[in-house]
Amino acid sequence: MDIALQLLFTGIGIGAVYALVALGFVLIFRATNVVNFAQGEFSMVAAFLMVVCAVDLELPYWLSFLIALGGMALLGMIFNLGVYYPLRHRSFLPVIISTIGASIFLANATLALYGPQPQVLPGWFETPGIQVGPVYLDSQYLLIIAVTIVLVAFQYWFFEHTLIGKKLQATSQDKEMASLLGIPVARMIMITFIYSALIGGIAGILVAPVLFVSIQMGSSIALKAFAATIIGGFGDVAGAIIGGLALGIIETFGAAYISVPYKDGFAFLVLVLFLIFRPQGIFGERVAEKA
Amino acid sequence: MTITRRGFSAALGAGIAMPAVWRSASAQGATIKIGMVLPVTGPAADSGRYALIGAKLAIEQVNKAGGILGKQIELITEDDQTTNPGAVLAFSKLASQSDIVAFLGSIRSTQNHAMAPDILKTAKPVMFGGTDPALTHMGNQWLFRCRPNDSYSGRVLADFGMKTLGKKNWAIVHSTDAFGTAGGKALSEAITKGGGTIAIDQGYANQSQDFTPVVLAVKQSGADILGSYFTFENDLGIFARQLRQLGVNIPYVGSPSIVNVVATKLAGPALYNTYGVADYAEESSDASKAFGKAYRDVAKAAPDNQASWTYDAITILAKAMNSAKTTEPKAVRDAILAIKGHPGAEGEYNFDQNGDGLHGYNVVKNEKGNIVFDKHIEFTD
Repeated sequence: MDIALQLLFTGIGIGAVYALVALGFVLIFRATNVVNFAQGEFSMVAAFLMVVCAVDLELPYWLSFLIALGGMALLGMIFNLGVYYPLRHRSFLPVIISTIGASIFLANATLALYGPQPQVLPGWFETPGIQVGPVYLDSQYLLIIAVTIVLVAFQYWFFEHTLIGKKLQATSQDKEMASLLGIPVARMIMITFIYSALIGGIAGILVAPVLFVSIQMGSSIALKAFAATIIGGFGDVAGAIIGGLALGIIETFGAAYISVPYKDGFAFLVLVLFLIFRPQGIFGERVAEKA
Repeated sequence: MTITRRGFSAALGAGIAMPAVWRSASAQGATIKIGMVLPVTGPAADSGRYALIGAKLAIEQVNKAGGILGKQIELITEDDQTTNPGAVLAFSKLASQSDIVAFLGSIRSTQNHAMAPDILKTAKPVMFGGTDPALTHMGNQWLFRCRPNDSYSGRVLADFGMKTLGKKNWAIVHSTDAFGTAGGKALSEAITKGGGTIAIDQGYANQSQDFTPVVLAVKQSGADILGSYFTFENDLGIFARQLRQLGVNIPYVGSPSIVNVVATKLAGPALYNTYGVADYAEESSDASKAFGKAYRDVAKAAPDNQASWTYDAITILAKAMNSAKTTEPKAVRDAILAIKGHPGAEGEYNFDQNGDGLHGYNVVKNEKGNIVFDKHIEFTD
């Protein structure tokens, strides 16, 4: 039982990371109907910005965090203008390829600027964790879970109770109609890119003290987060959260009770099962086409 | 000046022939070209940088001492992207250049396995750093190892754990790639042979984000000592931290990655007081000390095996070609195998007929982040 509790905590912690990155996938998908394959690189770039500010320049942690978020907002803006906007009238395929290209560019640009050596980023707290009965709670995982809950609550309030949130929703549901109603569609999409770059960045900064800061950190998380969005139901915010958490818990328990080397296999086995038996995901609705 | 028909024809002929003559002259070579496959991108890109510094350091010293057969060495590099397909592609790009006389392969066994069929076809010497014993025992006569293989590391780990630390009941954690599987097997065999027991033998896939299930399995197993074979420093760093967080404090002895510069930096205090087998230990010999000093001057960082094996590979190739007085592959192969008592950064090279140059390991300890030499254990069988 003690072991199961420990595994459950770790599974939720790692699942929350997948969920945060998956949120970024979902937001951009809803606004533009394309998958942003550079979402993982947003996490990596933010983590490196934190290393530059907090470790190399020895700035206060909170200030480094704000600078990193500022950098991510700028990156989201540039990403929209350089990667999505020029191709916005094309089909989804060129845009997806464009995001893959951007992902490779971001990884290699960071490699060229910072070098290949993995970096250590200290966590927010001095204490690495606390022992509660038989379970060790890693302080960074506790923070990740807390931030995920806050962000989900914020997102709900933002989209359901603010005018700009409703405009964003309208844009994601039908761009033409939104435009006819006077909603500045291009600006809404710009805000979506900035917001998802921020969320990806927060995920990267939070996970960096656990997984270290490396060029590959984004891609390895993004792959699982992508699977989480499919399991949850592509385009659904609640689905991304549930999918991420489910994936984290399944792979942790699968590794502990069935096989460690096949840990990644469990995550993708679940993905394949969903694609076969419930392709719309947990929360997705079946889309039927008229003959 | 008038141009005659004969003069025009001669000039045209010379113009057409010149590129071929130039190519031929280049092929004969003003330099001796050595190809090197190394990770410039991917998870091991950092170790690739160290490997390159080691190779360049040796080239500078060999060139200063007269080079190979009176010519300067030129290094041609290709990125293996830290993947097996990347390594195969990188090697075939290098192998297509006929004027490259020898190669440096990978420090990763799995990549050397991937390249091995092409190495056999190319039929030129390839120095490598991977430690899977099978690489020099599978009939590929062009592979020459510049690090001790894992049959030795397994024996040294088991010997040190059981005789020096007095622990018999082992937990083994290893990567499931070629290096980790072979290392785990070698350690397991050595423990059993030495009278110890295996409480748990746990493999894991590279680039894992979480090791909680592995750590809990080790904790539950009741083992009184832990031995490990980790391929990537990131994995080792995460594992070591979780090991301490979840209260596993049994003695820990690990394969060379446990004492490399990146791993000790990433894991920090989580690896303090652990032991490792290290093919390179700065204090182990005069040649190791000399390499360490030269490396520190250039790299401004502590030396480790990522750079020492490439340094040795170049000096051994230079020695073999100079002693064979040719770059002809068969003669170079014979000259490498004839090398005995060569003082390298990694240790004293005595090549056997399989292509293994080293036959022992150093045991070192992580004392608050400093890697301290303990002893060297050499095998003759």
